[in-house]
Amino acid sequence: MLEEARSRWHPIAAAHDLQFRHVFHGQLLGREFAVWRADDGYVNIWENRCLHRGVRLSIGINDGRELKCQYHGWRYSNRTAGCTYIPAHPADAPARTITNRTFPAVERYGLVWSSEEPRGELPDVIGLAEGKLLALRGIPVNAPADKVVERLKAYRFQPNGAIDGEGAEILIDAAQDFAVALRSRDGDAQTHGVFFVQPVDSNRSVIRGVLDQDAEGAARIDILRHHNERLSKLRDQVEREAANVPSPAPIEPVYERVSAELAEMPGMTTHGRKAALRVTVARKWQTADGIAGFELRPIKGILPTFQPGAHIDVHMPNGEIRQYSITNGPGETDSFVIGVKLERDSKGGSKCMHETVREGDVLAISEPRNNFPLRRDSTKTLFVAGGIGITPLLAMAQALKNQDLTHELHYFAQGEEHLAFADRLKYLGDALKPHLGLSPDQTGAELRQIVADYRNGMHLYICGPGPMLEAARKIATEQGWPDTAVHFEYFKNTNKIDDSSSFEVALARSCVTLQVPAGKTIMQVMRESGIDVPSSCEQGACGTCVATVIEGEPDHQDVYLNDAERKAGTKIMTCVSRAKSARLVLDI
Amino acid sequence: MITLYDYELSGNCYKLRLLMSFLRIDYKTVPVDFYPGREHKSEWFLKLNPLGQLPVLDDDGLVLRDAQAILVYLASKYDPSGTWYPRDNPALLGEISQWLAFADGITSTASAARLHDALFYDFDIDVARAGAHRLFRILDEHLWFGEQQGRSWICSAGHPTIADIACFPYIILSEEGGIPRQDYPAIRRWCDRVKRIKGFTVMSGVFPAGPGKVAA
Repeated sequence: MLEEARSRWHPIAAAHDLQFRHVFHGQLLGREFAVWRADDGYVNIWENRCLHRGVRLSIGINDGRELKCQYHGWRYSNRTAGCTYIPAHPADAPARTITNRTFPAVERYGLVWSSEEPRGELPDVIGLAEGKLLALRGIPVNAPADKVVERLKAYRFQPNGAIDGEGAEILIDAAQDFAVALRSRDGDAQTHGVFFVQPVDSNRSVIRGVLDQDAEGAARIDILRHHNERLSKLRDQVEREAANVPSPAPIEPVYERVSAELAEMPGMTTHGRKAALRVTVARKWQTADGIAGFELRPIKGILPTFQPGAHIDVHMPNGEIRQYSITNGPGETDSFVIGVKLERDSKGGSKCMHETVREGDVLAISEPRNNFPLRRDSTKTLFVAGGIGITPLLAMAQALKNQDLTHELHYFAQGEEHLAFADRLKYLGDALKPHLGLSPDQTGAELRQIVADYRNGMHLYICGPGPMLEAARKIATEQGWPDTAVHFEYFKNTNKIDDSSSFEVALARSCVTLQVPAGKTIMQVMRESGIDVPSSCEQGACGTCVATVIEGEPDHQDVYLNDAERKAGTKIMTCVSRAKSARLVLDI
Repeated sequence: MITLYDYELSGNCYKLRLLMSFLRIDYKTVPVDFYPGREHKSEWFLKLNPLGQLPVLDDDGLVLRDAQAILVYLASKYDPSGTWYPRDNPALLGEISQWLAFADGITSTASAARLHDALFYDFDIDVARAGAHRLFRILDEHLWFGEQQGRSWICSAGHPTIADIACFPYIILSEEGGIPRQDYPAIRRWCDRVKRIKGFTVMSGVFPAGPGKVAA
């Protein structure tokens, strides 16, 4: 019976058990759950073990948006259960494959329902209409579910309207493997109650009763006490019986094996930029002068995990592909929100987004990629945004705000009407420092003040138009900021690419040597030889196609690497950069 | 100056550290090597407390033993708000005393199980655990009905009292004695609330809670 029970839906908690900022410790058929309600109301039911060291997540911290493991502070996102931050690796974005196992959650009849391998949707319960029900206190019983169900068939209770009476007539309306529906009648008063038995383990259960009518005030408490008393008595009887027979062995939960996709080497795949997801434009609105906001919702299922700083490729109806940062705060995982500025000299990207794409349209997007990760071990974080450069920094600032970490967001714009995403900015409170209508000189002076007091442990994140970004980086360097503390993201690479050189590229791991002629990029040549290279912007700005250089001198033409990284010569952007030496050995 | 004769891993000593942290009282500690040194049975300590038990508190020469008794003393003397032990509210004092005695029951069951598992005391572990589960069932029911009636704490006041402090440590440490709290969801939620009291401090084996939800 318990085997078959795996495909059924069972209540695992009462709705009132899942208070905000709490983690409920659930269990079904031997498998433990960490159950938590995010501030947006979403109920998460997860395997109760951290993917890192196996510690129970039910002792973790629900911060309203993410669940933080108590042991080493790994953070997992609301809804997706994907890891968003690993404190021991503050400079890295965790791989999307670090995602905890989730189980379906349905809130109905005052209870929270789940199933290990559900067959179909949660069935309707006859006699219970949503809305005016009374969920009783759950009664844990140290006995097998079938024994509890047997006893429940003989359960006696008074109807709500005659709670102080005696000797109500009880009818069994229905009885199944894990539920008994009873009707109590006393004169005119009548109450229908369904008593579900949650199989916690082979020898443990919880009785979760729901009555078909609610009550208020003292009468409600009287009803709850009436059932609590009688069900507790029933529990004591079942437990006494169960104690007289040898208890069955606890159920060993089967943990999912690592999927083949993760355990094995990836096969050969098609090349180029992939648009793995389809989303609908749920909302398009003018969020500031010249900036359109887009809320992208999944057509089915849920969106993949993202971290602050991540971007997506948007494949447009006109065939263009553009990158946009996700502006969402942590745990906000039901949609991606992006901001698109209409560029005056648009080559078709922003113009198409502004003029062609409408609410209800379907767009193809890539999975989020994060080449601009946010450290959270900084003593103080400064964000400097210019214009539409606000988008990645907005996601970052919201993450730090949620964790109560010190930060300032300096937002340079032409005027008030150019400040995008007012609601998100408002959430940041005093951390937001707008700088409006400044000339380039004034901007420089302001930047000098902002980055004046560098101390060890501080970090600076810059995103904005090229000239402003250059200026900010230069000023930071002058004020003593080391390269390792200054993080930046360009919108695009405005360097004039010189692809006149020709050279040899040896791919050490693949044991392949290729010739890169003038006019072709390393990436193109690799793809022609059947090597899959991930890419996004393909112009040296986003950092997706980075490769490790083992030997040879790169000819950097990107805007992703900082000066120290360029000098070190150990990384190269294969979409634009080339070789100064005749031969380049890459770790591919 | 207050001196607490203290053992870091003792839940009974933690009760006093908790209250003094809530009340922001300065104190110094004298560590007593309870395990493995058994210093609480040493000659010098038996002079302070002939029962040979921790904690002992010395407040300018007034020497007191028994965690619950010391909670009463400290709250009566050092709590200007008068909420932790409201001396002018006899009904509430009755409730508090009732739950202080309950806390003693938790000590003799849940704490005993922990001493058995962690410090190798020769107790009947099954009896200790069963006793703790019996008490936890009673408290969970009490707290669950409290939630249903809008009450957050053990006693019927709208604020925590020393009854909450007295019951908290050996409940939150119960897993160390092999007593899971999975079947007591209302106790688990109450533990979160205790951890969110301003001035809350941790001990080895007790983790802090995150911030609560602020009404938008």
